Amino acid sequence: MYPNPIAPDCPAARAGYMAMVALILLLWLLPLLAVIVTATRSAQELMAGNYWGPVQQFSLIENFTAVFSQTAMLRFFLNSLLITLPSVLGVLVLSTLTGFVLSRYRFPASNLIFALFVGGNFLPAQIMMIPVRDLMVSLGLYDTIWALIIFHIAFQTGFATLFMRNFIAALPSELFQAARAEGASPAQILRHVVLPLMRPALAALAILTFTFVWNDYFWSIVLTQSDSVKPVTAGLNNLRGEWTTAWNIVAAATLFVAIPPVVMFFTMQRHFIAGLTMGAVKG
Amino acid sequence: MSTVILTAIDKHYAGHLALSDINLTIQPGEFIVMVGPSGCGKSTLLKTIAGLESISSGRMEIAGRDVTKADPGDRGIAMVFQSYALYPHMTVAENMGFGLRMAKRPQAEIDAAVARAAKILKLEDHLGKRPKSLSGGQRQRVAIGRAITRSPEVFLFDEPLSNLDASLRTQMRVEISSLHKELGATMIYVTHDQVEAMTMADRIVILNAGKIEQVGSPLDLYANPANQFVAGFLGAPRMNFVAATVQSATADNATVTAPGLAALTLPAQGASAGDSVTVGLRPEHIRLAGGAASLPATVRLAEHLGRDTVIYADAGALRSTASEGGNGTFTVQLGHSLPINTGDAVTLGFDPVDAYLFAADGTRLSPPRKSF
Repeated sequence: MYPNPIAPDCPAARAGYMAMVALILLLWLLPLLAVIVTATRSAQELMAGNYWGPVQQFSLIENFTAVFSQTAMLRFFLNSLLITLPSVLGVLVLSTLTGFVLSRYRFPASNLIFALFVGGNFLPAQIMMIPVRDLMVSLGLYDTIWALIIFHIAFQTGFATLFMRNFIAALPSELFQAARAEGASPAQILRHVVLPLMRPALAALAILTFTFVWNDYFWSIVLTQSDSVKPVTAGLNNLRGEWTTAWNIVAAATLFVAIPPVVMFFTMQRHFIAGLTMGAVKG
Repeated sequence: MSTVILTAIDKHYAGHLALSDINLTIQPGEFIVMVGPSGCGKSTLLKTIAGLESISSGRMEIAGRDVTKADPGDRGIAMVFQSYALYPHMTVAENMGFGLRMAKRPQAEIDAAVARAAKILKLEDHLGKRPKSLSGGQRQRVAIGRAITRSPEVFLFDEPLSNLDASLRTQMRVEISSLHKELGATMIYVTHDQVEAMTMADRIVILNAGKIEQVGSPLDLYANPANQFVAGFLGAPRMNFVAATVQSATADNATVTAPGLAALTLPAQGASAGDSVTVGLRPEHIRLAGGAASLPATVRLAEHLGRDTVIYADAGALRSTASEGGNGTFTVQLGHSLPINTGDAVTLGFDPVDAYLFAADGTRLSPPRKSF
């Protein structure tokens, strides 16, 4: 069976295993560590070339103050929230509806529609850079948050539909039959039976979509231009332009930007409940 | 007026006939049990009555209304599933009131209906609990309660007791039977368990390969099976069958022979000399010694059940077809304990009037007999 358990009575193998785990973990976390440490250094220190040595002058507060007073990060942050939250909401609503219909109802071309949703995921979105930009320009949405909201909803719904369809298809079919036999309409079944049981799926999808949209850089620079619209990812790049050498401030801003996905994860985590359908059917 | 009338129901399913020419009229307050082997279409028939599955042709009427194309919720039915199908995120009370809530009934009416059902099913102490904290029997009671609150014309049960352990099953069987008497409601009950069918039904419907084989009261079906399938299906241990040939026949009798069996004259109508027939013998009609026909045999296996003894006996040249033991032995049920064991030599005997005679196409040739 894989993975092979490591025999507890073989100290050498165990030590080697632990060392490898530590090494990989260190490699994995090194960039994050570098950002955190850099955010605490002063500008002079970095100019002197002290990138990896011990911090001489702890300047985290000063760096964060600079982020909020000297850059437009707060504005970018707000833009990101204005783009990400509606996108996530839109994706969750649409994919719940499509997932429910595609998993529970047979109608002509239902398989074809589902295939289109799934197939869309295989297409690299970047090849549509020019058409999407042109579309947004002709719709008059270029350089507005709506360009990003509409784009992200459209492109995330494909994967989200696959995810939701499979989740709903795995719910016991007797629950749906029972609800139908009791005279519940499809809308009532969705509202009273499916939605309450979908909490884990909604939470997981919310985290995934939120992280993806929040972290998106490519479409941010393709579809936005002005500072009043740019999300944080594109905004961070601005900082680099303006403050070529102020890595301490870029690092502090980066940490600030990373907060929402982490908060999102911990708030949604409590919804990951195993066995939500326990007691529904004897299985 | 009948509660349920099924007329010429056909259902094609992926190229084969899942239900074929089903005709059935169910009277108000009747307890109908549908039985049959796996895949015979009994659950499919129940789901078509519920409206969960569509039919290809035919007509369906419930309480005087044509419901052939009606939605499940508009048919006046309530269904209880084998897997209970309780909503796990709702309390017992919410589960039982779900149908009424979806129909937007006033809260007072829902509360009253739930309280009434809970009282009938002794669930008053569990109304605030979630299904996962209930035992299997309690869950099934909640599922039945959910059906009761809607006061349907017809209750549909789809193998409701199959997930329960044996002792609980017996208890719930009695509870459902008394519930039926208390509510006086029409119930259609699907099971593969003969004991449930025999004990609960007013009438049993025996299905095989999508067709109704026979409909009748339990004891009548047992005493007068219309054909070899029904004879073999009802009764545990099942009937012994022997392939035989008709030597001579009169209007009321037939004399048959089989390898290893002396010529035997049985009451039969419509047999003629030279026909291939099947002789059927219920295990409880075979005795050790005595009887007009007797044959020597060796015990292959003896099952001591305390109250009775079942032996599987090898009668030499005389083989039974499709026997329970699977090897041509005869099943004999003796209504008492006996010090009998594997390898013992016995003499089997039976009375020819107890034997059934079936034609080659399975139809019963024996004349009707009293069920008591």
